Amino acid sequence: MKDQVGGNQKRARFQALCQSLRPDLLRFAFWLSRDRALAEDVVQETLLRGWKAHDSLLDEAAAKPWFLTIIRREYARSFERKRFVTVDVDELVAREEPMLAAAEAQDLAEMRAAIFKLPDEYREPLVMQVLMGLSTAEIARELGLSGAAVLTRLFRARKQLRTLCGEDTSLDPQE
Amino acid sequence: MMRCSDYRRSMMVDPRDADPQLQGHRVSCHDCQVYTERLLRFESRLDRALRVAVLPLPVKSPPQTRLSAVYRQGWWAMAASVLLAVVVVGALWLSVPGPSLAADVVTHMAGEPDAWRRTDVPVHSSELQDVLRNSHLRLATEAGVVSYASSCEFRGHRVPHLVIQTASGPVTVMVLVHEPAAKALRFDEGGYRGVIVPVPGHGSLAVLTQESATTSKAIEQIAARVLDSIVWTG
Repeated sequence: MKDQVGGNQKRARFQALCQSLRPDLLRFAFWLSRDRALAEDVVQETLLRGWKAHDSLLDEAAAKPWFLTIIRREYARSFERKRFVTVDVDELVAREEPMLAAAEAQDLAEMRAAIFKLPDEYREPLVMQVLMGLSTAEIARELGLSGAAVLTRLFRARKQLRTLCGEDTSLDPQE
Repeated sequence: MMRCSDYRRSMMVDPRDADPQLQGHRVSCHDCQVYTERLLRFESRLDRALRVAVLPLPVKSPPQTRLSAVYRQGWWAMAASVLLAVVVVGALWLSVPGPSLAADVVTHMAGEPDAWRRTDVPVHSSELQDVLRNSHLRLATEAGVVSYASSCEFRGHRVPHLVIQTASGPVTVMVLVHEPAAKALRFDEGGYRGVIVPVPGHGSLAVLTQESATTSKAIEQIAARVLDSIVWTG
């Protein structure tokens, strides 16, 4: 009886955790894959794997990077299962219109198109920092990079993004 | 002494970096203040752009007998219920539109963390009047001790940014004359809880706090008090 109560509590806690994190996990998977359907598949699989392995999550505060690791692994697995072809960014924008538009202002649509154009190695750490709130050290750990390499990528990501968005970059520092 | 190029490079890496050295440079360098405002506006747009509306997943209710059968199978039962709950609640949660004005207000806060300190020392009255005069308003009655007053660039306009000491702790007030709001909006993001209330004919008023114990209702009451104390002069 006591075990059952404990199990229910554990399940409820994990449910609540998934509920709070799912939107950002889905967004992260979307920006990682640039494909809504694939992002949904990856997150669904991630949550299932998360539940199976939830005993290894010792600190709920660390759940976000923990899930990110699973998502990135799942996304990599999707490449093993299926060989993706390179697509034109304009096609991507058009295809993902329902996900991107949603009655948002034009400037957001332009920004999203620009994010699509960023190379993966710049887009991923940027999304981790801005959307997921990860620190430089956490990003470095997740991507297997040095802290300095992460700083460089974040710098280049913003610099390229600002140029792509037609921002005034006259005051931007040089690398 | 930090150079402007080093400051800007650090800001390009993380515009919300609260490092005291960076703050020190920002306070002493007008050009870098302007640069930071621009960068934070860009960052706010980036943040909103990344928060794409996530479409709800289709939820199909399996027949009762099948559901029961599934539920008898160990962890699958738990995993299925987790997913189902997540899908339903996630779909509901995501149908709420993103508070873009609120996001910009919160982003602006990141640029001035020093303004939040608790104090009973009011800002100099001439300083306060200068800030308010630029936006054609004055405070008729004391809404509390105004401990900080600055005329800040926000979405292309100079707006009053005040910190008022209240019984609930310091609250930030931004008078957003150029930002009309159709209805009151509560928000809770980035460690800030607040409200944006419409001010007919004068845009809107944003009031926010870092005190997690302060309820949205209490913040609305503070906003109402501040609104009562504003006299529009233009």
